[in-house]
Amino acid sequence: MAALPKRIIKETERLVSDPVPGITAIPSEENLRYFEVTIEGPSSSPYAEGEFKLELYLPDDYPMCAPKVRFLTRIYHPNIDKLGRICLDVLKDNWSPALQIRTVLLSIQALLGAPNPDDPLANDVAEDWKKDEKRAIEVAREWTAKYAVKS
Amino acid sequence: MGNVPAKESPPNSGGRSRSSTYSGSGGGPFGPNGSSSSARRNTTSSAYHQSGGFLNGIANANDKRSKKTEEKDRLHRKHLLGLIVRYTENVDGGYLAPFGTYKSNLDYNCDIVRGLIMKRRLAPFYTPLQDFDESWTNEELIVILNQLPLHSIETAYSNEEEEDDIDNHKIHKSTNFYRRQEQKAKLKELMLQMKQIQKEEENKYLEIKSSSSVGQRSVELSSNDLLLRLYRNATECPICFLYYPENMNISRCCLQPICTECFVQIKRLDAHPPHDEEHNSRTNNDSEDLPHTLISEPAHCPYCASSEFGVTYEPSLDICTGFGGIKPGKFRSVDESNDDAIASSSTSPSPVSPRKAVKPRRKSSLAINTPGVISIDMIRPDWEAKLASARNKLARKAATASAIHASNLIMNADEDSYSPSDSRRNVGSSALSNVEQRMIEEALRLSLLDEEERRAKERREERK
Ligand SMILES: [Zn+2]
Ligand SMILES: [Zn+2]
Repeated sequence: MAALPKRIIKETERLVSDPVPGITAIPSEENLRYFEVTIEGPSSSPYAEGEFKLELYLPDDYPMCAPKVRFLTRIYHPNIDKLGRICLDVLKDNWSPALQIRTVLLSIQALLGAPNPDDPLANDVAEDWKKDEKRAIEVAREWTAKYAVKS
Repeated sequence: MGNVPAKESPPNSGGRSRSSTYSGSGGGPFGPNGSSSSARRNTTSSAYHQSGGFLNGIANANDKRSKKTEEKDRLHRKHLLGLIVRYTENVDGGYLAPFGTYKSNLDYNCDIVRGLIMKRRLAPFYTPLQDFDESWTNEELIVILNQLPLHSIETAYSNEEEEDDIDNHKIHKSTNFYRRQEQKAKLKELMLQMKQIQKEEENKYLEIKSSSSVGQRSVELSSNDLLLRLYRNATECPICFLYYPENMNISRCCLQPICTECFVQIKRLDAHPPHDEEHNSRTNNDSEDLPHTLISEPAHCPYCASSEFGVTYEPSLDICTGFGGIKPGKFRSVDESNDDAIASSSTSPSPVSPRKAVKPRRKSSLAINTPGVISIDMIRPDWEAKLASARNKLARKAATASAIHASNLIMNADEDSYSPSDSRRNVGSSALSNVEQRMIEEALRLSLLDEEERRAKERREERK
């Protein structure tokens, strides 16, 4: 495996030396491009008190390409589908090489605080959300209590 | 990130250990469309072969193709040679080709970028420092700088695992498969040659460095004064996190620095349909997109997301070495006392001459068409031709799809015509004429697209 680019090394170091509150990202020992991530649900959201596991992978073209991020913990959210894939502009066309692992994870945390059923990935969840928001939020809360248990 | 038409699954995405979920043949959660485009291409070619008429003049076409391939190979080779870093080709202590931080995507026009660097309109490709510490003494800094290679050869030419060819799993391999294998072997050989050329350059550089340390330093190498002048206040590039001479390219919009190696990585997105909602589950396949509506947007600024990214560069007035200037070894800093500091074995970091002749930096943003602004499209003038060819490719795909659709309609129409009812027979024949009409329209559209592509190519040729 080719040497790790300086940028990835420095980002990793800075994630450790200056961690983001409510977010952890630990590189895997066997592949330093692969991170095990946890994100705490924002306090004012139905995901509060939950701790969500994600995986993050830096492709060969990173930072010219966005990191690949996916939820491992099940989550009831209109912009996150059953496979944990996330609908977030900065992970797609709006990615910029000036963004970092840190900023991406903060954007994902913000998405938990502000679900957007009008731009859905999980269509069924989005429909529930639009039909009966109160009920949807309740389901999200139930799923959080059931699956996103702090370890 | 599916649903981007005309985009191949990335090469070099060989998965390792736990990352394997993300790569491979498209089964993973991140690649639902994976290699389906090549699968479609195969279907297309077999459809052509079955339909008899296309067999005429195939020998002729082959001849044409091999000439075309030869020309393509020649241009590719020329491009790769333009990416070789040679210490004899230097401008203000930097080079005309990238250090090799990024191994792929070096698809910019080498002649244009080399020209811009020689004219001092774009910062040269400086050798980056992986780390930098202001407390280093001048002597320490010089030692570190002298150890740097010309090129990060192992990163740039690293041999990646080969991409799995979809036909490897088939019993009957298509002719395309063998052609692809042949191309791959040719490419591999070419890359080995380039690696060898770069290695030889590196050896020449090492030789001149080691022979000059005995007696006096060769004038072909940057003088210690030049090295200190450039790197004493090295600055981190916000994208690659490497350290460069502080006088970097500046974004036209938000005045942020960017090294040239990162600048040439910024590019337009691949051509895509105008309302590209990647995420929504589009059930129609992309052959139903209208080819002429494919668009290609100018690259955005990585810092402020303004459209049409561009940079300016203002060369330091006190440095003019290499092309169009004095030998890099002849450079002496303006401050004479600084010179002595280097010659003597003083260990304290001596401050850089305060009388640096640097023009005051630009204070406001500039429009993309301001003279002096270097845009992404300027270094990749082939973007129009690429868009035309993406449209063309999609159009061909659509044509095949509608031909298949049409033949289905004809068969249906035939069946219909056996129906006893006269009215239904009419429906059948009108369907048939509909089909003919559509096929004529399709042919017309294709020839228009061909024409468009040809014109774009001509324009490109004229610019050369
Ligand atoms: Zn850079
Ligand atoms: Zn900007």
